[in-house]
Amino acid sequence: MLLEGETTFDGAPFDGISFDLCSRRKDVVMVSADLSKYTQIIRVKEELPDQHLDVGMAEQNLISVAAGVAKAGFVPVATTFAVYATRRAYDQMVICMGTSPHTSIVVGFTPGIANPARIHHQAAEDLGMLRSVPNATVIDPMDVTDFKQALDVAVDLPGLVYMRGHRGNTPRLLDPQKFKFELGRTYRLRSGSGTGIIATGHATQWALEASGILEDRGIDHSLLHVPTIKPVDETGLADFCFAHDRIVTIENHQIVTGLGSLVAEVVSDVGGGPRITRLGVPGSWAPGGTLPYIREQLGLDAAGLADRIREAGR
Amino acid sequence: MSTGSNSRVPDLEILAAKIRRNTLDICMQRGGYAGQGVALADIAACLYFDELRTDGKGWFHDRFVLSNGHDAIMTYAALAEHGSYTLEELRTYNADGTKIDQSPIEGQLGFEITAGSLGQGPSQAAGIAWAERQRGTDKRIYCLFSDGELQEGNVWEAAMFAAHQKLSNLVYIIDNNDLQASGATTNVMSVEPVPEKFEAFGFFARRVDGNSVTEVLDAFEEAKSVAGKPYVMVCDTRIFVGIDCLREALPMAHYVAQNAADWEAGLAEIDAKVAALTGEA
Repeated sequence: MLLEGETTFDGAPFDGISFDLCSRRKDVVMVSADLSKYTQIIRVKEELPDQHLDVGMAEQNLISVAAGVAKAGFVPVATTFAVYATRRAYDQMVICMGTSPHTSIVVGFTPGIANPARIHHQAAEDLGMLRSVPNATVIDPMDVTDFKQALDVAVDLPGLVYMRGHRGNTPRLLDPQKFKFELGRTYRLRSGSGTGIIATGHATQWALEASGILEDRGIDHSLLHVPTIKPVDETGLADFCFAHDRIVTIENHQIVTGLGSLVAEVVSDVGGGPRITRLGVPGSWAPGGTLPYIREQLGLDAAGLADRIREAGR
Repeated sequence: MSTGSNSRVPDLEILAAKIRRNTLDICMQRGGYAGQGVALADIAACLYFDELRTDGKGWFHDRFVLSNGHDAIMTYAALAEHGSYTLEELRTYNADGTKIDQSPIEGQLGFEITAGSLGQGPSQAAGIAWAERQRGTDKRIYCLFSDGELQEGNVWEAAMFAAHQKLSNLVYIIDNNDLQASGATTNVMSVEPVPEKFEAFGFFARRVDGNSVTEVLDAFEEAKSVAGKPYVMVCDTRIFVGIDCLREALPMAHYVAQNAADWEAGLAEIDAKVAALTGEA
């Protein structure tokens, strides 16, 4: 399901995704909190102004107004940086959206270390926060194809849906003709034996880079992409884990409460199973700077990951 | 100012007295926010039995959003008169496992939102008002919240949004009872002058006696004539207004435990009032 040949990039993925969705679904409203430009909602704002609502720089209001919009028959997509949606308006997400049957979507942009400004702009704990909300849906898409398809599915899900967003130069890695996002489903991107790599979101891009290096070095492995953090196909996840000698999880998130924790919980529910090495932000604040620099500092660059995966497999 | 609705005043005062009675009946089982329910009875009577238009199917065409869960007792007590709940059901208020939550969860009949986390109603009501206007409906949106809630920043974010969006289909009703969990609002963190603050945000604001059916009706009427702005009625109320013996005994009762009030005395007083009003009507 991966595209072959040269990778193409979309410079403003959410502009196209939001415009396409709002053009097809007149009940969808993009809600912004002064960050429409920085979440790349451009054409909806200009060409479909009835489907765009800006509440100003007020994230509690962003979430609670959007929840109200949902309770009057629309499907709101509340957009801001992941840090603000989660740290600043978590109660509003849980109470106004999480206890409601009405579809309410929150897209958190520049998640994890995908922001150059350290600590205050880096939401590396958002997946864990949302994963613990009963009945919430949590999605971390890996590329343009995944992001678009996941949002198309989200608009018909009940209650609170939290999704991580991509902005800026975003690769298209999955073939839209062959990949079909299904809620909870996991996707095997490389098949092998020995070490099983499990990744989500941006980190699946990083895992693919590392996988290329491992392949060149002749190191056998598999790679599983898990876009839905909640609810996930636990049986599929467990089957993948128990079919490998070692598991390495990679996430653009703290190594606690996110994907690595999810995999460890699923495996421990079964009992026994392979050792699990969790890679991501290792219980410290990530540094600031460009993404390549931050990744290198945290050992999440392609070469660093390949070395750590090989090490974990020994 | 007087309105054509004034002919309804005697009936609404009887309903308010019955709502007070229902409040005591419900709260005397296991305790509750009785003081608020009693104090809000006049607003409830005007809201549910005059202001909200019916949908012709036993419910309401307009939408009421309760922001502060405490005041759910007002809605329960009023909906008992409306016939949507029986008193028998409502007497399970505050009981283990009851669906009559003291602070209700979204989906419970009469409650548009989960109301337990304070300061979130005004924004949700504003979102509903914006969306109803987008849909082209003529629904009016009413949101009740308390003076204590004005200390939450979320309320002022909502006020800024509602005024900016010129939501003239939105009416905020503030229960300005000068009481919050740890004492008088004026002592804990003063919120006055409330009408002036909302005016500065772009609302049409009016301070009314929240225990005067006439004043409340007039304010609701006035709200419908205001164009291009949301409306806020700042309703001055005091805990247990309308039942003197409880008002004197418990002037600062944010919450009344089951054994903390002479419920029988309160019931006797309000029963007498209901009888007198009914006799006069």
